[in-house]
This record gives sequence, C-alpha cells and structure tokens, in this order.
Amino acid sequence: MNYIAAHPLRVAELALAHVELVAAALVVAFAFALPLGVLAARRPTIAPWLLGALGAIYTIPSLALLAVLVEAFGLGFAPIFVALVVYAQFMLARNVAAGIAGVDPAQVDAARGLGMSPAQVLARVEFPQALPVVIGGVRVAAIAMISIATLGGYVGGVGLGVLIFNGLTLHQPQMIAAGAIAASAMAIAADALLRLAER
Amino acid sequence: MNAATIRFDGATVRYSGANRNAVENVSYDVRGGELLVLLGPSGCGKSTLLRTVNRLVPLASGRVEIDGSDVNGLDAVALRREIGYVIQAVGLFANMTVAQNVGVVPSLLGWKRDEIAARVDELLHLVGLDPATYRARKPSALSGGEAQRIGVARAIAGRPRALLMDEPFGAVDVVVRTALQRELVRIVSELHTTTLFVTHDVEEAFRLADRIVVMRDGRIEQSGEPFELFDNPATPYVRQLVHAGDDVYRRYFARGRELLRSS
Amino acid sequence: MSERAISRGGALALLAAAPLVAGCAFDPNAIRVGSKNFTESFVIAEIYAQALEGAGMHVQRLFNLGSTQIAIAAMERGNVDLYPEYTGTALIDVLHLPPIGNSREAYDVVSKQFAQRYRIVWLTPSPMNDSQALATTRAAAARYGIATISECARAAPQLRLATIQEFLARPDGLPGLQRFYGGFHFQEVRTYDIALKYRALLEGKADVASAFSTDGAIATDDLVLLRDDRHFWSAYNVAPIVRAATLAKRPHVARVLNAVSPKITDAAARAMNAAVEKDQADPADVAAEFLRR
Repeated sequence: MNYIAAHPLRVAELALAHVELVAAALVVAFAFALPLGVLAARRPTIAPWLLGALGAIYTIPSLALLAVLVEAFGLGFAPIFVALVVYAQFMLARNVAAGIAGVDPAQVDAARGLGMSPAQVLARVEFPQALPVVIGGVRVAAIAMISIATLGGYVGGVGLGVLIFNGLTLHQPQMIAAGAIAASAMAIAADALLRLAER
Repeated sequence: MNAATIRFDGATVRYSGANRNAVENVSYDVRGGELLVLLGPSGCGKSTLLRTVNRLVPLASGRVEIDGSDVNGLDAVALRREIGYVIQAVGLFANMTVAQNVGVVPSLLGWKRDEIAARVDELLHLVGLDPATYRARKPSALSGGEAQRIGVARAIAGRPRALLMDEPFGAVDVVVRTALQRELVRIVSELHTTTLFVTHDVEEAFRLADRIVVMRDGRIEQSGEPFELFDNPATPYVRQLVHAGDDVYRRYFARGRELLRSS
Repeated sequence: MSERAISRGGALALLAAAPLVAGCAFDPNAIRVGSKNFTESFVIAEIYAQALEGAGMHVQRLFNLGSTQIAIAAMERGNVDLYPEYTGTALIDVLHLPPIGNSREAYDVVSKQFAQRYRIVWLTPSPMNDSQALATTRAAAARYGIATISECARAAPQLRLATIQEFLARPDGLPGLQRFYGGFHFQEVRTYDIALKYRALLEGKADVASAFSTDGAIATDDLVLLRDDRHFWSAYNVAPIVRAATLAKRPHVARVLNAVSPKITDAAARAMNAAVEKDQADPADVAAEFLRR
C-alpha cells in the first residue's frame, strides 16, 4: 500500500495499460468466440467436441503457453495478448452457446417462419435474449484475464504484473504487494461493473 | 393479392431415421381465399405438410406450388415474409414489445416507421385489443388469449398471400378459444386470405372449415366440405372420426358453425 | 432488437473500444529498453530510459528479461533495441573468450566482435567497473591478516565462504581463482540466495563472500573488498549496447546515452544499489535522482 501512495502515477499508468491489454484482448477474443459459440449452439452434436477442445486449452498452464508464444512472437505486448485471447475463448464461447441454446425454441421457429434470415434470427431474437448469459461469460472471462495478464510483467513489461515481477527481482515486497493489490482491486471492480450490466 | 392458391403435387416428406414417410404422396389444390382445415391425430403428417408450404420442412419428392410457382425455386426467406405463420406456442419475441412483435414482418419488408406504426394500431384493433393499452407491453405481461391474438396479428401484419396456422388455439381455455375462432373467421372472411389451419379437434374443424382434409399416416383419407364428410364418409376411419350418422353430432356441429358466424 | 439490449451492448463496446483508442503505451515508434534480472541492471536501464525520455523520445521498458542469453536473444530478434551490458560478461559468457583485465582492451574486443557478429553497437562505456570480487569484514581481515586475493588464497583453509551457485560454476568464479592463484581450498563453502549472502557474512556465519564490486551492501557496511593483486578478474565496465538497425534509424540515441554513460562511477553505482536494496527505493526514483545531479 505504501508503494501505491508513494508512486500513484506509476501505478495508475501501469493499471491503465493493464486495462487496455485486457479490454483489447476481450474484444478480439469475443470476435472469435461469438461465431464459435453460435456454431456450438446450432450443432449440438459437435458442441461437446468444440467446447471440450476449448476447455482443454484452458487447462494449459499459462506460463507454459506463454513460453511457446514468446518463441513465436518474441517479447512484449504480443505474446501476453495472444495468450489472453486464447484463454478467454472457453468461457466466452461456452456462455454464448448456453445463452443462445437457452432461447425459447418456439420463438426461433416463429422467427424463421415469419421470414427472418438466420443472421436476423440471431441478431434480433437470439442474441438479445442471450445477452445476460453472455455478459456473465464476459464477466468471468474478464476476471480471469485480469489475473493472467499479470504475467505480462514477465514477458515484456506490460501492465501491473511489472510491479509484481520487478518487485520479485529487486526483493521489494512493497512493490509486489502494490501490483497484487491493484490487480485484485481491478478484478473486483470489473466484477461489480459487469454484474450491473448483466441485469 | 392475399388469396393465393396452393397446390400439393405428389408431396412426400421423410424425416431421417424414420421408418415411414411423414407425408406420403399428397396431392391437393387449395382454393384462393378458402379456410382449409388439415384434420387428424398426432403424427398423421398434417403439421409437416403445413410446413412444406413455407419451406420450414424440405420435400423428399414432389412439388408445392404457390400461385403456380414452385416454392423450391423461390428464395425461402422472401417467401416466408409473404406467408403468415402462427404456432401453438405463439412464440412472441420476449425481448420485444407487442408493437415490435406485430411490426416484425413489415419491418423485414422495409416499410417506413410511420407505416408500420399505423399498421400495428390497425391490427391490434382488428384482433380486438386496444392499441394504447397493449402497444408497449411485453409478452410476459399477456394472458394466453391475448398472446395468441397478437400472434395472429403478427402473422397477417405484412398482408401475406396465405396464412399457415399450426394448432394455434390448442393451448388456451375453451371460452377464449371460441372467441379466437370467431375472430379468425371474421378476419379471414374480411381479408380473403387463403388459410391452412391444422388441428386434431374435430369440432374446431367443423366450426372453421370451408373444406376439411382428413389425414392419417401421412396420406389424405378424405377431403371435402364438412357436411360432405359427415354425410358421405369414405372410410370407416372417417366415419368414426366425424361421428357420421349421429344426428346429435350433426346438430352440434351445425350449431357451432352458426355460433361463429353470427354477429 | 430491444432498446435495452442495444444500449447495453453499446456501452460495453464503448468500454472496450476506448482503451484501444487511448493506447499510447503500445507505440510502435517507442525505443524498447531492456534490463537483466538484477538490481544494478534495472537502475542503469532506468537511467538510459529516462535520459531518452528527457530527450523527447517514447520509451517502452522491457525490464527483467532474465539472463544474458535471453537479453541477447531478445536483441537479435528485434524485441529490444538496447540494454546495459558488461564488457566482462560479453567477453566470457557471450564470446567465450578469456578474461581481459584492462578496461580499454576488453571494451575494444567486445565492441569489434559484437559489431561483426551480432550487428550490435557498444556505445561509450562507464567508468564503473562491476567486477567480481571477494569481500570480507574488517574484523575478519584483521584477524586473518588478509588484504589481497593472494593472501586469501593461502588463508582459505581457515575461512568459510558464502557465495551464490553461479560463482562455483563460472570460469572466473572459484574454479578460475583456484587455477590462477592456487590454493583457495576453503574450510567451508555454502551457497545462499543472492540477497542473503552478505547477511551470512555480517552475522559471522562466513568469513569471506563472493561479491560484485558495485554491490550496494559494500558501500554502507563494515565490509572491505580484497585487492586483486594479480589482476585475475576481467574488467566489467557497463555500456549501452544498441542494435545497429536502431541506431541507423535513430542516431541521436547514441548522442543522448553517450552523454550519460561516462557519469556512472563506482561510487555512484554503489550508492544507487544500496538505495534500492536497503532503503527499498524504486529504481526509477533512484535513476531520476542521479540524472538530476
């Protein structure tokens, strides 16, 4: 806490970068997860395989995945960004699928019968009703990503993880604590904000 | 414009994994402007046949024509926007207001906002609901009868050429059902919209139909005007179904028709 | 689509998009300054970074890279534009050449080789010489009569050594000392975490500790360094090493860093290290303080 009080600008700067990293990764992750989730909802036969594969990826230890990504992309913003996008897939796609599958099938039948194209059914009927569940998935993903994003301090000086890993190397517990506390606070705030949106 | 003719020509439907065809070689001409009832027990293929008209169900063989055009050659989405569709569960869109629900097809057809608004009011009146009270309501705040009226309004909002109805009044209680049947008969006679109506309820069939098609195991058992079937049943099954020869039933059915058509 | 859903979705999209627009941290034109994973590397890298920022450039910090291998690899891949490196480390760990005690000579060799082999340019070195050393307490020095490395070599059987694992493996660590000076068979050798090594010495659990000559602990405590009378150890002057490609595009990087590098002396380095290690100061603050003077 002392470190935060003594270096408010630095912590704020790193916190902002952390938010940018997670937000950008969420947006990109969602762009992939949305079609994957829709696919899983539409094809119940392949859904378990698809979501199972994404779930398996989720269980890969983050440090291991990051090491592979550093090999591919080098150090800096890229490996942690890609890692976050990959990890978010499971939670996002799963909730998109669940949300869409949970929509009343009679409404979907009526929508098709009245002449909505598949895209229109998705946009006008299914997705709006799936939104609370989808946002629930975004919330869970965001919290996980805020935590995983601290590894950004290990591979290229991005975000609050910088405080944690620098603190470890320099043997400065206050720096470590500052990074950890700020990240936790961010996760709590994101959770509260998104719970509001869920309603 | 609304009174489309529909022709079934050797229509056959098979669901994968089934041991017989759901619809077997059905040929029939539906006259423009008529209210045709498809009558039969569950599994007889009546709903399936209904849904071949708007291509929700694909044909295995044969043709379905609307106003002389093979439906398979038309764009499915465009076709459906010209055909009204009402189902038993209604399926009002929970994320939209009543007004938005009713205005769905006009909006898909690209009508202007004020045109749509006017049409919504007109239709709510038509189905006996006060626009001011109902426009902004959500489906969750409606009774069964109200919901189904709005379902009907939604189906005819785009001035469709034909109307497909799949056991639409099955889920409401008897009193409400009679009221809805009256409304339907009135609307259909006013608009002259060709209507295909599916039901398993013989009484309902007799009340509503200009003609009845009795179906069993995917085929047509008999078709004709209601009392035609009653007086001259073609098979034992039809005889037993319509209580042919039973004078009490004859009077009962006649009374039912009168009830719906009196003012 | 319901209005409520549209406004919810819109709000979320805005939330997500705004940071992307604001993202100045991920500036592709930023100079990427790296550091290795110990205090002094952080401090000197901060000095370089702040000097460049002072000259109006955007800097992205990729500190805590890890070992020398990782840092060099990062340079070669183009992930990092520059970082502080030591002539001795470059000579021994990267080029696998024998140590050179003379600062000027060591610098010339690494400078030439790095330019040729890695297309990395060595800028002006600092006078600071963070060489290997052996440290002892004033009390132990007096008791055992050791002031030079040679004397320590002979007195070793009476002495306990506190050191880090690396020192036992490095060619210029214990093995090298044993070969060069002879002797150095300590009564006891124990390895510690790099931060706890001096504690052992000060608490009397060891008599001699391996050290780096600019360690902060030496500046403030009752410790002395033993004189390398036969010049075994290599020079370890620090200098900014920069990718040739980066210098070609941004030649004023050299001008800025060459102005700062000569100011880093042994004393300055020790003081800064001490501030970070003992007083828990932030390297950024320490570097800023240095640049102000």
